Amino acid sequence: MNLDFQKGSRSRILAVLLLVIAAVFIVRLFYLQVIQHDYYTSLAGQEQIKQKTIFAERGLIYALDGDVPVPLVLNEAVYLVYADPVIVDDEDKVIETIRQVAGGSAKANLKELLGRKESRYQILATKLTRKQAEKIKEADLAGIRFQETTQRVYPEGGLAAQVLGYVNADGDGQYGVESGLADRLKGTDGLRKTVTDVTGTSLTIGDNNVEKPAKDGETLVLSLDRNIQAKAEQALATQLEKVGADHGSVVVIDPQTGKVMAMANLPTYSPATFNTVTDAAVFNNNIISNPYEPGSDIKTFTMAAGIDKGVVKASDTYNNTDYINVADRVISNATKGHTGQITFQTALNFSLNTGFVTVAQRLGDGNNITLQSRKTMYDYFHDRFRMGQLTGIELAGERPGTIISPDEVEGNAVRYSNMSFGQGMDVTMLQVAAGFSSIVNGGRYYQPSILAGTIQPDGTFKQTQAQEIATTVSSATSDQIREMTRIGRSTTFPGIDKAGYEVGGKTGTSQVVVNGQYSPTDTIGTYLGYGGGSTANYVIMVEVSGKGKAFGGSKDAMPIFTDISNWLLDYLKIQPKG
Amino acid sequence: MSYQPSSSYSPRRQQNWSRNQNTTRFVSSVKLGPVAHTVIIALMITVLGLIYLTQATRTTGYDYESQKIDNQIAELNDQKSDLEIENARLTALQTVKDSAVAKAMTNTAATDYVSE
Repeated sequence: MNLDFQKGSRSRILAVLLLVIAAVFIVRLFYLQVIQHDYYTSLAGQEQIKQKTIFAERGLIYALDGDVPVPLVLNEAVYLVYADPVIVDDEDKVIETIRQVAGGSAKANLKELLGRKESRYQILATKLTRKQAEKIKEADLAGIRFQETTQRVYPEGGLAAQVLGYVNADGDGQYGVESGLADRLKGTDGLRKTVTDVTGTSLTIGDNNVEKPAKDGETLVLSLDRNIQAKAEQALATQLEKVGADHGSVVVIDPQTGKVMAMANLPTYSPATFNTVTDAAVFNNNIISNPYEPGSDIKTFTMAAGIDKGVVKASDTYNNTDYINVADRVISNATKGHTGQITFQTALNFSLNTGFVTVAQRLGDGNNITLQSRKTMYDYFHDRFRMGQLTGIELAGERPGTIISPDEVEGNAVRYSNMSFGQGMDVTMLQVAAGFSSIVNGGRYYQPSILAGTIQPDGTFKQTQAQEIATTVSSATSDQIREMTRIGRSTTFPGIDKAGYEVGGKTGTSQVVVNGQYSPTDTIGTYLGYGGGSTANYVIMVEVSGKGKAFGGSKDAMPIFTDISNWLLDYLKIQPKG
Repeated sequence: MSYQPSSSYSPRRQQNWSRNQNTTRFVSSVKLGPVAHTVIIALMITVLGLIYLTQATRTTGYDYESQKIDNQIAELNDQKSDLEIENARLTALQTVKDSAVAKAMTNTAATDYVSE
């Protein structure tokens, strides 16, 4: 095509003008599309590409019912209903619908909230179920919107509250398993970065889409048996009410695995309404977080060390005068009158302090609690029975307690004489129960654990294995201590156990240290024992206490042990001996 | 009569071609100028563009289908969760204890074991 324009003609001028305009467009387009390419691509990306966090679902928590996992903590979607008062056109219909559907979950002053036209966000109801939210959606109310969140649901109510802990408003686990195993429960959030349309639907257009799926938290199965837990809580509540105690704890362990079958504390709370709790102390699991002087329960440990070292037997005798001198101190028996040559079995039956100070002396030169004696006791108490150190149970808030080493100035003969009957040391109930489990199971110390396993994504229950981590005493020592505690219990409290079973235990009545001094009024009652058929099937430890009140091991704590023990023999279907 | 071979070889197709060359020659009366060519090229580009857009839109259509299925999955998962919670509540210890069946039960008087 060859266009001929006459020089100076209007056509030529128009052509030149068009060329100039075209040149301006080309230059402008070059500037926008080439030079400013990155800037405008970025602007477009901000409009078109949406980044969305895919929230991981917090792991569920199950307990056991026999061998079957049952849910203790689930997740539920709940909805918050809010209004944009500027858009709401029929306030009466909104109020009527919300009140009708949400009931008690609706705010009381709906009329006032909807009248706040200067605001664009007014919460009208919280924690609605999905069905309730759907009913409100069906009403198609202008200006009413929904926010979905999840909350923890507790089908068993407040069962094992201190073991579970709770999840706060920020989604963080507090106390118990929720905090102790938070890393396994919380999972990992995912990410979706895609081009979206105006409705927010992700489109597969573009090369920079990112899809990283969320990894949900693990579903954990606790070793707690919900029936044993419920029984422990019920037995504890009944006895506390009966004796007027303020606090009480029960722990039940399977001595053959170290798995905790029940862990109950009173007073307690409901994790679903944790925000209504006024005394934060109820969140604590005293079984792991409240070290105390365990008292006479520890005599079984002293006896085990003596027997294992070969310096004493149950039938050996010593001269009981109801008093014994250690350095410049005089240690006396709480129960007096069994004087003369008596056996160590008798000392255990009547919980005579002098008998166990004598064992401590025999671990030395026979007459004194020497450094060698103290080192041996420390080896057993701290290194073998693992008292005064963290057990490593999968719960938040565990405290180690204290066992003073003989290498320290305070670890003198007087302290170790006191330690022989459970004073001068701070330990937790779990440490005592776990150590005692190893004494009655043949000498195998298992890592105390609250975890039975996990439920896999395919729904199968994968069990975690028990971990044997140390040998504490010989099998022969274990047999002797079982027999001694059995005789001690059946002699002192005949006829309280189901016939045909082997049940043994030891009472403890501990003084309470208040402001560095033993309180003249407060005592803690404890009972530590085991039960079963031909082997020890369970170990139970009970504690009862109250501020300004005196409680005894046999009178106040032991009935709880007996109640649970007799029930467990049936529940676990244990066959009687012989 | 004797047979004389031809001095030059002419293939059959060439012979046919030569023969058909003498048939009617067709000359189109429509002449395409440079503008028409430009328009045709523009039209072809437009058609190709439309084909591309159709394919791209089809992919986007799958995105909507996928989104719909994702929503259904989420909805069903929500329903499953609701049912699991309901099931857990109905089989909770306290619910079972409060049930009419449990209330009608009596404690066992004694348990006997038979040795194997």
